[in-house]
This record gives sequence, C-alpha cells and structure tokens, in this order.
Amino acid sequence: MGTNMAAHVSKAVLLLGQINQAGLGFQRSVKGATYATGVVTKTKRRNEDRGKDPVRRDKRVSITPRSESMPLDLDWTAVYPAAASFKPNTVPLPVRMGFPVKGGVPPDKKGNLELIKIPNFLHLTPTAIKKHCEALKPFCTEWPSALDTDAKCDQFFPIKVESTDYVSASLSVRNPAARVVHLKVKMSSLNLDDHARKKMIKLVGDRYCKETDVITIKTDHCPLRQQNKDYAMYLLTVLYHESWKTEAWEAEKTRADMEEYSWDGSRSQKNLLQLLGRGGGGGEEELLGRSDVQEYKESVTRLKNHGESESTVDQYKDAVKKLLQL
Amino acid sequence: MAAPMMIRRELSSLARIFRGISRLEPRAGVTCSGHRTWNTTRFRLPPTSITSFHSATASSSTPSSITVTEEPDVLLQRLSLLVKGHDRAVLDSYEFFVTMAARELGMAVSDVSEPKKDMERLTLLKSVHIFKKHRVQYEMRTHYRRIQLTHLTGSTAQVFLEYVQRNLPEGVAMEVTKTTMEKVPDHILEPMSDEAPPSQ
Repeated sequence: MGTNMAAHVSKAVLLLGQINQAGLGFQRSVKGATYATGVVTKTKRRNEDRGKDPVRRDKRVSITPRSESMPLDLDWTAVYPAAASFKPNTVPLPVRMGFPVKGGVPPDKKGNLELIKIPNFLHLTPTAIKKHCEALKPFCTEWPSALDTDAKCDQFFPIKVESTDYVSASLSVRNPAARVVHLKVKMSSLNLDDHARKKMIKLVGDRYCKETDVITIKTDHCPLRQQNKDYAMYLLTVLYHESWKTEAWEAEKTRADMEEYSWDGSRSQKNLLQLLGRGGGGGEEELLGRSDVQEYKESVTRLKNHGESESTVDQYKDAVKKLLQL
Repeated sequence: MAAPMMIRRELSSLARIFRGISRLEPRAGVTCSGHRTWNTTRFRLPPTSITSFHSATASSSTPSSITVTEEPDVLLQRLSLLVKGHDRAVLDSYEFFVTMAARELGMAVSDVSEPKKDMERLTLLKSVHIFKKHRVQYEMRTHYRRIQLTHLTGSTAQVFLEYVQRNLPEGVAMEVTKTTMEKVPDHILEPMSDEAPPSQ
C-alpha cells in the first residue's frame, strides 16, 4: 500500500501545496521512496481504496457562484448585455424547469438543459429596453401632426401600396413572396366623370369592391418589388387614361351592358303607356308628365337597382295603387 | 439572430446602415403650409463626420452622427408584424418587448391579437418494415402573434424594425406588412387632351 501511495503522490506534484498536515509526514517518507526507485509505475488502485486517499483532490476547485454575491443595485444590463444562454451561476433566480420526478418537483437550475435550450430574454429587461430606445430616439422622425385621422390620410394620400417582408432563419435570406405588391385606391379620390367611372369598373372587373369603392391591383409578374410597384402605377395610369377615352364601338352598348336600370325606354314604360293609352287618348309626353307616373317610375327604378326590401316594395305598391286609382 | 455586443457599436452600425436618415427640426418647423410638401429635413449637418454606407471601420469611441438628406420621408399608414413560433411563452415575452419598445419610441400600437394556432399532423409507420397497423403520430404547432402599429414615418419604421428584428429569438419567424401612403401622381390628376385613338 505504501508503494501505491508513493506512485500517485509522485505524479501529483502540483498538489503539494494543498496537502493537509496529516499527509505531510506521509509525504516525506514517500519522497524518499521515489528518489530511491527512480522509476514511476502506475499501479491500479482497488475500489476500496478510492475514498480513503486524503491526498487526492479534485482538479477543479468550485468557487461560490457569482449569483450569491450580487448586490441589489447591480447593473443587470452589464451582466447580460446581449443575447446569451442561461448561466445558472450568473442568474440569481431560484428557477426550476422540467418535468417533475414522481412525487417531486421540477429539477433545479444547476445543469438544467431545458433552461439552456429555451430562448431567454434576460438581455431585454425593461431597463435595457429603455436604454436602447434612448439611444435610438435620435434616429426616429415624428409623424406629421396634421394627419391625425385616417380620413385626412385618405384625403391627401389616397393611394396605398402594401408589401410584405419575411424574416426567418434558413439557408437563404430571400423569400420570393416578398416581391408581391398590392396597390389600393378609392375610386372616389380619382378625377373621373360618369362615363369614365363606369368604363373603369368594367375594365378592372373583379379588382373593384363595390362596398368599399376600392380598386386593388396585385402585381407579382416582375422579380423585384420595385419593378412590381412601378408596374402597378403604370397599370393605374393606363386604366385612368383609357377610361376617359370614348371608343367608336362604345356606341353599341346595349341594355344588357348597362350597370344601372333606367326606366326610360324600358318595357315597363311601354307597358304603362299602352295601359294608360287605352283609357283616354292623352299624348305620350302628357302621360309621362303626370306625378303618379313619375312616382311609379321612381318606385320601379328603386326596386330594380336596390333590390327587394320592405320599403321598396311598399313604395311600389303605393305607386301602383295611385296609378290605377284603387 | 444575435444582438450586437455593445450599445455604442449598435448606434454606429445603425448609422452606417440607415441611408438617408432624416431628422426633424424643432417642432415649430413641422407645421405644414401646404399638403404638398412633407419634407422633414431642412438643414444639413457639417460633413466632417458623416459615416458612409460602405465603410467597415467600427469606431466605438467617436459618437455616431446622423445623416440628414433632402428626400421626403415615406409615410406608413400601418405596420403589421406577424410573429410565428413553436412556443407560446417565447411569443408572450417577445410581444412584451415589442410593445414596450414601440411605446418608448413614441409609436401608436393599435392592435395586439393572437391568431389561432396551426397544427400540422403526420401519421407515419412505426416500424421500418411491415406492421401497417402500428403507426406513430407527430404534430407541429405554430403559434402566432399579430402586432399592428399605425402612423409611422419611414425612418422610424426602419429604426424600430432593425431593433426588433435583431432581437428576434431563435426559432421565431416574422412577416412585416407595410402599407405606405402616396399622393395621386401628377399624370393621373387630369385626363389627357383629345388624341387620336391608338391604332390596333
């Protein structure tokens, strides 16, 4: 046993300073032993002897963790200035995380992989956010105070251009969906007369929403967003100028192409004139000038354009009653 | 996406990256005379310390200067951030960070909502060979958070987005939808004078 100890101690020269008083006497005799032999042989220690060696020490010396000596007014932004993984000896919180052992509690923070895996926001405490924003403030500009409501924004800046940016961690920074541009304009903000308005609605087709009076032009033909935006503006320009022009073939517009129902020249008018003409021989214009005929005209137009509802049907009923003097 | 190490360097890197950052005069100068010009820049700083875009030197000792340009600022009616992640708690913390940063920078947060989570499920065979009746099922959950800000200028949005995107946690993706407002361009204000129709 003595020679075994000798071999180990001769190897562990570095630990001489930490050997306690009890071992010193041991060592003196041991030193003599190594000098005498001159050759160091590593011998296997039996399991029972492992715990009994007072000389053997752990190479790693554990110190008290930093979290135990942190003052209360510590500047936390200096401890975690940037995103970093969770360090249990640096964070002075008694955090537990993980699935609890049966009948026990979630595991402690020391050596807890769950706490290391999850992204932490220790570098973004409210104090840190305030500091960052103070530094960023000079780069920001103020919103013009005159444009406080959405209505004013729509009045002065009617064209809205929408585009999307994508941020994600992957092999590539680019996302092909980022080139899509939506251009939205309210038709009422464009300078259009009646004919131009109707023609524009026909040209644009599905892109016009009747409830909100908004034209939406979506462009994704070009590979870059700026190109798509320019193309959308070009389309708007073309639509605008084309709708103001009157082509020769527009004269062939039939009743079926009309957007709204108009009573003059319709079958309803012909029927009415036929009906009233049978009674007395009044001229057409005279008949049309009558107030009850005008009421009937209004009620039919309203019924056709705005659909059937209680008020429109009642109005029609009253007009017919008056006309037929019931 | 790791945040930069020191705040000072972040400032100078921001200054490098932000071309054409415009700066407001004191409030008196902002009132608009006509609604045509929304120029927010009226003065130039002396060109002694203007940082150029492509310079790679990181001078953390000198204070970064703000480059002022004459081009008018873009106006954003709405900025919508949609954040996606697999962990709801991470998105909660991120939402707190984003809303606080927006409030500190003086931006109006109009809406913070949580769209319904998506679950993508897979049913696979448990064994490598045969045993068709024994399967294993996996699912991937994607949680969302939508934060909408209104009435921002282009430079404010740029600053805010860079700050917020640099601090995006791992495993979280973001979609930013910008709605910019523009005036009706001059060539659409009036119809063209009568011309011969184009020959077909």
